[in-house]
Amino acid sequence: MSILTIKKAKKMLGDARALRGLSLDLEKGEIISLVGPSGSGKTTLLRSMNRLIELDSGSILFQGENIADMDPVALRRKVVLVPQESVMLQGTVKENVQYGPKLAGAVGKCDVGRCLRDAGLSPKFAGKDAEKLSGGEKKRVALARALALHPEVLLLDEPTVGVDPKKVERMEGTILKFAREKGLTVVWVTHDVPQALRVSDRIANLKKGVVKEVTNASEFRWEGAY
Amino acid sequence: MTGIPYTWEEGLVIMGIMMVMLVIAIGLSVWKKIGIAREYTYAMIRGGLQLFAAATLLYFLFEFEYWYYPIWLLLIAMALMGGYTSARRAGKMPKAYRITTPSILVGGTVVLIVLRVSGAMPFKPQFVIPLAGMVFGNAMTICSLALNRLTREFETNKPTLETMLSLGATPKEAMEEYGRMSIKAALIPNIDSLKTLGIIFIPGSMAGLLIAGTNPILAAEYQIIVYLMVIGGGIITSIMVIALSRRLLFTKAQQIAEWV
Repeated sequence: MSILTIKKAKKMLGDARALRGLSLDLEKGEIISLVGPSGSGKTTLLRSMNRLIELDSGSILFQGENIADMDPVALRRKVVLVPQESVMLQGTVKENVQYGPKLAGAVGKCDVGRCLRDAGLSPKFAGKDAEKLSGGEKKRVALARALALHPEVLLLDEPTVGVDPKKVERMEGTILKFAREKGLTVVWVTHDVPQALRVSDRIANLKKGVVKEVTNASEFRWEGAY
Repeated sequence: MTGIPYTWEEGLVIMGIMMVMLVIAIGLSVWKKIGIAREYTYAMIRGGLQLFAAATLLYFLFEFEYWYYPIWLLLIAMALMGGYTSARRAGKMPKAYRITTPSILVGGTVVLIVLRVSGAMPFKPQFVIPLAGMVFGNAMTICSLALNRLTREFETNKPTLETMLSLGATPKEAMEEYGRMSIKAALIPNIDSLKTLGIIFIPGSMAGLLIAGTNPILAAEYQIIVYLMVIGGGIITSIMVIALSRRLLFTKAQQIAEWV
């Protein structure tokens, strides 16, 4: 069953044509990696999927409903973006993790320790000042913060850049577990093709704002990717 | 009693003597290459002409039996001028006058109504015009400071704001902290001048009343009334400008506006 359907998405960013009629279909519970050179439209696509930016034309359907007709706040709580730059909000790690659930009125259901463990961080981090963490730690808090919202779709933009390899393994394991056990759909932007091969069910190769090809991870060929 | 111990003709002579100060200042500026001579002269001439124009207008208004007819136009002109001037402090924000003008108009008008109803402002042009000038002028300054701070906060904290939105915050929730900071920053000059009242300076209305021969206690009392009102108007204006700016800082789809 399709959870997200992108139809002929077009988007200009300044003078650049970031998306040029891109179409893609995402199945519930799958992990799809978006690979491709810089400027191929990967980040623009992610930002369009939770309406941080609006498409110029084309449409994106979430569970059959055009997201342009949905309340953006409700959409962003279901289709959660973890941006490339992990900006920490003022306060402790705990306050960061609880930010989304608190706004949604579900702070009672938020197990901060669990979210941190899932993201590869010790629960001891909860009381630390989030802005003073290292780059890799911030990445993991950003993931924990997104998981705390219990999303249906997780949009990850280079989530493991700057994270040490052991923790990367932990983060990948968590995301795979969420996808397999809870039916979480994941769109994973990465430049790391071996990572895409490790975590994905399918890999979409983007070039100049369109999907050049979508293949099962096992059939993916490196040559055409960059 | 006017409190001024000379006629207007004698005043012109005294003003001429005082011009020597300006000439000395300009001479010093040229000598020391400070580079303010041209601007200082321009500002002095412009300010002087504006003040004399305003004085001439006031002279006729004070004599005019039906002074309250044109006064509404004057008040609206003050709000419009204030709105346009303040909008220039809004950085790249398009059509900022749409939020500055109503904010200044409402903040200023509410205060004038309270002043009138409380009896602090008799319905005479000698009271209405200067008080309106003070109230609208302060509302404009506070509006500029608040808006300038808010747009700068948006420009420097765009990634943080987007993070909040992407975690399900509404625009109101995302900008709450920045709005609070901007209002606070805009009110700092007013609060500081309140703290130093009577110590570092004697404010304009009290100085005027003292020169005109009013009892100092009564003059201080009136000054405090004026200050309370002026600050009240500033607070209303700043809250309003922050609330209204949300429409220009975010799109209908609750995204950060492209100009930010």
